[in-house]
Amino acid sequence: MKWVNLASIVILMYFLFPLYILFLLAFNSTKFTILARYPSLLPEGLTLANLMASLQGSAFIDPFLKSLETATLVGIITVVLAIPAGYGLSRMPRSLAYPILITLLVTNMMPAIVIGIPIAVEFIKLHLFETVPGLALAQTLITLPLATFILQGTFSSIPRELESQARIDGAGLARLMSSVLLPLAGPGIAAAFLISWMFSWDEFTYAILIIPFHSTLPVTIYSDVTRGNLLAGIAFSLVFTLPVVAITLALQKYLKGEYLTGGIKG
Amino acid sequence: MTILRLNLFFLVLPALVYIVGFSFFPTIYAVYLSFQSPHGGFSLANYRELIYFNVGGAIVDTVLVTVGALLLQLAIGFLVASVLTREFFGKRVVSTITIIPMGVATVVAAVTFSFIFQTSGGYANTLIHVITGGSVNWYSSSLSSLLVVMVADSWKNTPIVSLILLAGMTSIPKELYYSAALDGAGPIRRFIHVTLPNLRSFIGVALILRGVQEFNIFALPLILIGDHPPLLTTLVYNLYTTTFPEVGLALAAATVLLGFILVFMGVVIKLTGGKE
Repeated sequence: MKWVNLASIVILMYFLFPLYILFLLAFNSTKFTILARYPSLLPEGLTLANLMASLQGSAFIDPFLKSLETATLVGIITVVLAIPAGYGLSRMPRSLAYPILITLLVTNMMPAIVIGIPIAVEFIKLHLFETVPGLALAQTLITLPLATFILQGTFSSIPRELESQARIDGAGLARLMSSVLLPLAGPGIAAAFLISWMFSWDEFTYAILIIPFHSTLPVTIYSDVTRGNLLAGIAFSLVFTLPVVAITLALQKYLKGEYLTGGIKG
Repeated sequence: MTILRLNLFFLVLPALVYIVGFSFFPTIYAVYLSFQSPHGGFSLANYRELIYFNVGGAIVDTVLVTVGALLLQLAIGFLVASVLTREFFGKRVVSTITIIPMGVATVVAAVTFSFIFQTSGGYANTLIHVITGGSVNWYSSSLSSLLVVMVADSWKNTPIVSLILLAGMTSIPKELYYSAALDGAGPIRRFIHVTLPNLRSFIGVALILRGVQEFNIFALPLILIGDHPPLLTTLVYNLYTTTFPEVGLALAAATVLLGFILVFMGVVIKLTGGKE
């Protein structure tokens, strides 16, 4: 079993090295990082000054709030549309559900930069350009198919006997949803919401096309770095990354290949 | 029964209309607009003009990045997945750390890698300087610039590939390996004759999921190399920002990109033999 340990070490170094560099960039004194021709690979002159200087004032808080609003809105729109769709698909005959799922997933592969330009042009006419709802509507295009897919799986795992029992007891669809299905589907819905939230938090292409000027954090980091405002770019990157890494680790058990491949058997 | 089925369909309808309406129509509209002349009417003028913007070079570079990044991700993904099918001390830590890049935004990965690979100096050069005393300009040729993009992209996106491959590997019955070993097959032959054929559909899914995203790779090259050399996406963006509100030229480049994605999907589905 020796090669496994060796391979593990190589893998760990490969995956951790860039994160370690981000840590050095954020906390080392600048004379060992961006001001040095050969920046130090060790922690030197650790300081919080870099972060403090960059995170004060509206330069950070505005894009941060915009990212937060957009991601939350994307999560809400996605879940509201994906719950009925996921339920409907889970109760349909496979011959009908399968083509619909495939349509959703194929549409998901249309490039954002192709769709984004006509959408941006339309949004200018509709006064949705440079607005959070406009961006959220565009980003939902990518999160909705994935969330529908996840919730279809969640609802499929809820036994139909529970439903027919509730129907016999006189529950309508609304009642059935609120007191039987939604509580049981809770974890799946939470996962769908968080995955959508996280996706929007990271999204760049639609953001730069639809809110190019006072944008979300990813676009702000991009413009900071390209304008030479390096410390701000680094500090924002760090703050930006921490919540998402936390969510990723919390969602670890949902991040399974089986989900992504749609239950193909080898 | 039909009433119930109709009800179910109405539950699915909003999501379906949203997705199809919001992505098919803009896509078709984009293709349509790219064939319009500024004065209205069908014209290839946008495509003829594209030639002056080195669209050929952008196509070659996009294909290069796609193929290179896919190969890197499959190679590293296979290594990670093979390790994670074993039981060993510290496996949980390794499996947790290998998914962390999924939580790191593409933009953040790009910024970090831009400090690792710089034209002069940078973290990678610190290592090289310590060992050899020299330093490397990572952006001296377009090939090495593209290589930086591939490496950064592979770091960010290997986790999804290794998760898919891992799902495939754990679905292969152990008995197949035992009987292959009994027949005298070594680890490499077992990989070629047992693992690979059984993973066909999983590799196909990984290639489609990642391949389409590779053609669309945008934030990474934009931050790491700007548009020297241009990829199709950065070319589209560059044309869009410089000619706005005229979008015909940008949409012509976008249509070329779309064409490549559709061809790629067709080829991969054909090669790996669809689900049926």
